[in-house]
Amino acid sequence: MRNALRMALTLLIIGAICGGLLSVVNGITAPIIKDRADQQFLQALEGFFPDVAKFEVQDINGEEFYSCYDAAGKFMGVVGKVKAKGYGGDIAYDLAVNDTGDIIGMRIGAHNETPGIGDVINKDPFLQKIIGLKFTDPISAGVDVDTTSGATVSTGGMISSIRRVMNVIGENFLGMEVEKAEIDLTKVADGTYTGKARGFKSDITVQVVVSGGKITQIEIVSHDDTPGISDNAIKGMIPKIIEAQSLEVDMVSGATLTSQGIVNAVFEALK
Amino acid sequence: MNLLAIVFVAILANNIVLNQFLGICPYLGVSKRIETSLGMGMAVIFVMAMSGIVTWIVYNYLLEPFGLVYLRTIAFILVIAGLVQLVETILKKTNPTLFRALGIYLPLITTNCTILGVALLNVQAGHNIIQTIVYAIAVAVGFTIALVIMAGIRERLELASVSSFLRGAAVSLVTAGILSLAFMGFKGMMTL
Amino acid sequence: MSTLAQEFSKGIFKENPIFRLLLGMCPTLAVSITAINGFGMGVAALFVLLGSNLVIAALRNFIPSKVRIPAYILIIATFVTIVDMVLNAFTPDLHKALGIFIPLIVVNCIILGRAEAFARKNSVARSVIDALGMGVGFTLSLTILGIIRELFGKGSIFGVGVMGSAFEPMGILATAPGAFITLGIMLGFVNFMFKRLGIE
Repeated sequence: MRNALRMALTLLIIGAICGGLLSVVNGITAPIIKDRADQQFLQALEGFFPDVAKFEVQDINGEEFYSCYDAAGKFMGVVGKVKAKGYGGDIAYDLAVNDTGDIIGMRIGAHNETPGIGDVINKDPFLQKIIGLKFTDPISAGVDVDTTSGATVSTGGMISSIRRVMNVIGENFLGMEVEKAEIDLTKVADGTYTGKARGFKSDITVQVVVSGGKITQIEIVSHDDTPGISDNAIKGMIPKIIEAQSLEVDMVSGATLTSQGIVNAVFEALK
Repeated sequence: MNLLAIVFVAILANNIVLNQFLGICPYLGVSKRIETSLGMGMAVIFVMAMSGIVTWIVYNYLLEPFGLVYLRTIAFILVIAGLVQLVETILKKTNPTLFRALGIYLPLITTNCTILGVALLNVQAGHNIIQTIVYAIAVAVGFTIALVIMAGIRERLELASVSSFLRGAAVSLVTAGILSLAFMGFKGMMTL
Repeated sequence: MSTLAQEFSKGIFKENPIFRLLLGMCPTLAVSITAINGFGMGVAALFVLLGSNLVIAALRNFIPSKVRIPAYILIIATFVTIVDMVLNAFTPDLHKALGIFIPLIVVNCIILGRAEAFARKNSVARSVIDALGMGVGFTLSLTILGIIRELFGKGSIFGVGVMGSAFEPMGILATAPGAFITLGIMLGFVNFMFKRLGIE
């Protein structure tokens, strides 16, 4: 009994000392690590807007946006410190947009994408595709930006995240009108509608039945995408859209382009 | 996220032993016979799945809410050591057959870096509980496959005449290198 | 009783953790891609080994032997976490390159092995010398492996180009198979040299 007590006590003491020591070291190093991350971000900020003289931080839905001004106080653009969903978890990145809504720079921060596969998002060719895109561009996978095959999840995730961030920036900082891919079903009269949008290989045509202000049925009239892969998208997307009564649903991974095509086609049908 | 992709990457394209260099010690130590390799593999699958679940709970419900993320290494290794001990005791009492099959491998597992490695990788990747379990099992299966293939080769290798300087670990490492080269081919499949 | 000098040198030659005892192979293969990474990993492990050997030897009469393993793990994990934090704060690039292999020093067999086999039975001074020898042996081996892989895989040493522009880097040495094969051949070479020099 005394022995057991002694053992437990010894472990407890060692554990307490270790824990205490670690919290002290953490107290010393954590601010340094944070400072450096801030410093790197500031450097990136200056890289995007060399003339930046001051900036303001604004928090929108948990993400930070920095509006940049030059020495004369003229608004130059916005840098968003944002996150995208990738294959291996969140991808943190900075997106710089100038005052006319063009993407002028992007910096990928921490990410866990598989080396050699998902990390194409950090390579020049992918960055080249992104930089120069305008707010008015669709910025949609397969439409004006191609996903990289073999890394569809990572690149597709980046592209849809960039579109989302562009909308946030456009709406909040540039006073742009954001065209919502969302449909006000109450304004759609009952009936059957047909719409067409580009899938993976060519157009996907859908027929949508609306009754009582609800989407009750979606049917794929024709498509040309790879059987097997696209079947998953069709099987997955249609119930999702009908259940959510919305087009803001997750894509079927592995068949992102077909999924996106279906969403776009339904949107075209109902708009 | 696609569970199938997680499984494929964990077992083949990014095999824990041959591409990520985790668990090399048991890989070289236990891969002399196919039966022992299988035994070790089963024990790893079992413990990996359990520790994946427990470390996930510890991280998400204990460390993160209280801002103690910096204690994760210490917490995980203690959880794993405790878990291995627990599994050993329970198996001994309830299932002597399984204990006899896995028993001798269990103490070795505490210092198998794949277990701690996977716990840390799960947290790093922000996997949810389902992904954690799937990933843990897939990694362990990948480990077992690598181990069994290696054991098959080594059983043959013992009959070959190898220079005395290269016998044992040296030639095993070169063999592992060639195996790793073969597994690299699976990375190409990702671009389909 | 061996002298302190022998205690130190055994870690470098006779009981070299990588080439003789085959311990700590995972980080060896993973981080020896460049000389500086190998060196950094070696120093990180050296620090942990030194700290844990010191503390464990000092507490050897205080820790009940039944709970010694969890106690050792606690102590080792603490040192590892300190190294992790310090590297992250002061050498971020190295921290990023070594990645998950820093926390994994906890399960590096060298550390727990030395605690169990040496530090718990020997005085603080001898344990420190033992840790230094083992740590230096580990660092040296890792650095040499790193130099070889960097020299032929990238044409540079410690990031300084030395091979000239005509040299075509052997990319395979920087990949996973290259790591296994290089270490295997090195191991054979070391065995050969030891036999030649008559060190057993």
